[in-house]
Amino acid sequence: MESFTVSIQQFEGPLDLMLHLIKEKKLDLFDLNLDILADQYIAYINSMENMHLEIASEYLSEFASLIEYKSKKLLPRDTSELEDNYEEDTKDQLVKRLLEYQRYKEVSEQFNVMANERLLHYDKPQSEITYQWMKESKESFVDTQGNPVDLIKAMNHIIRRYKIMQPLQMKVARKELSVEERTIQIKAKVLELPSVFSMFELCKEEDLHVVIVTFLSVLDLLRQGFFDCEVVDDEIYLKRGVRYGK
Amino acid sequence: MESNLQAILEGILFIVGDEGVRLERLVETLEMDEEVIQSTLDAMISSYVQDDTRGVEIVCYGGCYKMVSKADVHEYAQRLFESTANKGFSPAALETLAIIAYKQPITRAEIEEIRGVGCDMMIRKLLARNLIKEVGRTDAPGRPFLYGVTEAFMDAFQLQSLEELPELPDFAKEEESENLFG
Repeated sequence: MESFTVSIQQFEGPLDLMLHLIKEKKLDLFDLNLDILADQYIAYINSMENMHLEIASEYLSEFASLIEYKSKKLLPRDTSELEDNYEEDTKDQLVKRLLEYQRYKEVSEQFNVMANERLLHYDKPQSEITYQWMKESKESFVDTQGNPVDLIKAMNHIIRRYKIMQPLQMKVARKELSVEERTIQIKAKVLELPSVFSMFELCKEEDLHVVIVTFLSVLDLLRQGFFDCEVVDDEIYLKRGVRYGK
Repeated sequence: MESNLQAILEGILFIVGDEGVRLERLVETLEMDEEVIQSTLDAMISSYVQDDTRGVEIVCYGGCYKMVSKADVHEYAQRLFESTANKGFSPAALETLAIIAYKQPITRAEIEEIRGVGCDMMIRKLLARNLIKEVGRTDAPGRPFLYGVTEAFMDAFQLQSLEELPELPDFAKEEESENLFG
């Protein structure tokens, strides 16, 4: 058996992997040589295992049935009809599934093109006030005989709207940092910066909490005469003051 | 009246935004014949598309009319906003949606049978994105839910109706016809 190389390709499942193997080994799907496919598949899964890749259970279940197929074939052949049927049945079933899967796999590529084309067009969310009107006018002719599915749909819609209107809720893991601590940090950091620098330099890559503490620290430092400050447009520029020496 | 109607429709489409508006609703509101409104909308759709001086066009996705910016604007919108975070679909999502679109109403088990992988999470994600919906239950044991596609699905794939779905390739048939002639 030729050496087998594993490409880390994202397969959508065992059927996808089998189609890939069939294509790669130029097997004929309509006259499938299940022996070759089984060998390839088993080799692929084994090498995935050797590379310590996690193998999803779906792959293993197909793996098991292919091994079962192979082991039955290895048994001394008692050329009874039952055995033949088994081979044909296994093969037919698999081919049928592969063909069916292939239909949707191929058509989903067209779906992808359609979706990407759609992404080039933007629509505008309705303004909030118009949405209120629309809800009201809808309410005025609400059919109270509606079924629960309609209700759920309507509620989902409102929740979705609500989410758009409300700012995202986020949990802030508060890192307690006191003004005193921050003042020490800033004093150290300033030595790495040019003598005049933007306040923004101190706030880079920091979360809101730290930015606020930084602001308070800077105010304190200004008071103590460590900095001079000048505001140009919306930028706060700080200059090392008398307390720093030169 | 004809040009006036165009102006009214244009205004309404502007106001309704991404919600869009359905033909029935327009008929109700304008108290006019469905055919008149329909043909005016059709005329507007083609005139917007042909007119290169316009940056918006009128579309009808899943029976809902609305205005969208033209594809040519996309490049500039991206520059304007630096990022336009519109997500596409993963191959797994596309496969699942395709199966549901063609075979709806369909149960999760049937989808899994075709794809050969578990689809529980995927279905939940698609439900959350409002691309599919529960359309009922079967009488099979456990009364599993049946799924179908939504209007948002039609919008996401630019479909006016399900009849516009691309033809599903049939490999099994190809083989038959080959055998027939071969």
